[in-house]
Amino acid sequence: MQTADTTIAVLDPTAAQAVTEQRAEGIERVMLAQDKLPVVLAVVLVIWFGLLLLLFRTDRRLAHIERQLGERDA
Amino acid sequence: MTSDLALPRYGLVYRLFGVVVAVWITVVLVLAILGPVSNLPILEHTARNLYFHVPMWFVLYAGAVVGAWHAGRYLATDRAVHDIRSEAAWMISTLAGVVALLTGVIWSRFTWYQGTGLWWSPEPRQNMVAIQLLISGAYFVLRGSLDRPRQRARLSAVYALFATASLPFLTYVLPRRQASLHPGAEGNPAFSEMDIAADMRWIFYASAVGFLMLGWWLYTQRVRARVAERRAEHLGTSAPLPAPVVS
Repeated sequence: MQTADTTIAVLDPTAAQAVTEQRAEGIERVMLAQDKLPVVLAVVLVIWFGLLLLLFRTDRRLAHIERQLGERDA
Repeated sequence: MTSDLALPRYGLVYRLFGVVVAVWITVVLVLAILGPVSNLPILEHTARNLYFHVPMWFVLYAGAVVGAWHAGRYLATDRAVHDIRSEAAWMISTLAGVVALLTGVIWSRFTWYQGTGLWWSPEPRQNMVAIQLLISGAYFVLRGSLDRPRQRARLSAVYALFATASLPFLTYVLPRRQASLHPGAEGNPAFSEMDIAADMRWIFYASAVGFLMLGWWLYTQRVRARVAERRAEHLGTSAPLPAPVVS
């Protein structure tokens, strides 16, 4: 496994850019495009899906409670 | 069960609605973050905040209108469900208002007030909304201070009507009479043709619709939880509870 050489990024920004441009392939070609905005999108979507999970679970729990209350009322 | 607490049936259509909201906002997020943006000086990429900050105002207004409507319905019909709906709508509205205020503070701090160190800028709409949020917050203080349910419902319904009456004046009329970062301060209606680039316009509308739907979803969940709570209390007082059904 190849570890990232962070010293280049700190000491010489142009060299770091050359490295990222050279290595951009596969998923990196997608994620590093457009000022790396796709990375922001990925983070936001993870949060949004987490919230959605909670919302749907709350819906199911409420439906369950409503059914139980309906049975007791009858 | 008392007819006071009757709710519509939340069945298949409601569950499909949840799926629609999930897909809708996911698409909006993709377009909002990756989509085209008019790259202006000062704003730069933060122009994308239009898609997130402004829909919060829409939810604030919609929640206040729904809250006032059900406050009026409660006073007219005396049915407990309207009190529950009014409170839930106010809760969503106030939450959206707090979020809108905070996002506005963050946005302006790093654009127009960059380098000034001003977190609380002299933006009139910001000040007015802070006042409006104090008025909204007092609604919940009022509710919390009253013990008897019918008295609480009646007094808070009347208060909610007054609080909604101040909303358009504080957040719409007065800020327009002063210099503001918000569109419409020059005396023209907000959201005219020139304010938003054509590409951004549709993403913005879609986002507003998406967040309104999300707000409605949260509102119905709160209403359902409150109604279930009341029904359980009602069961507890009128008849002994049977053993809990474990499924």
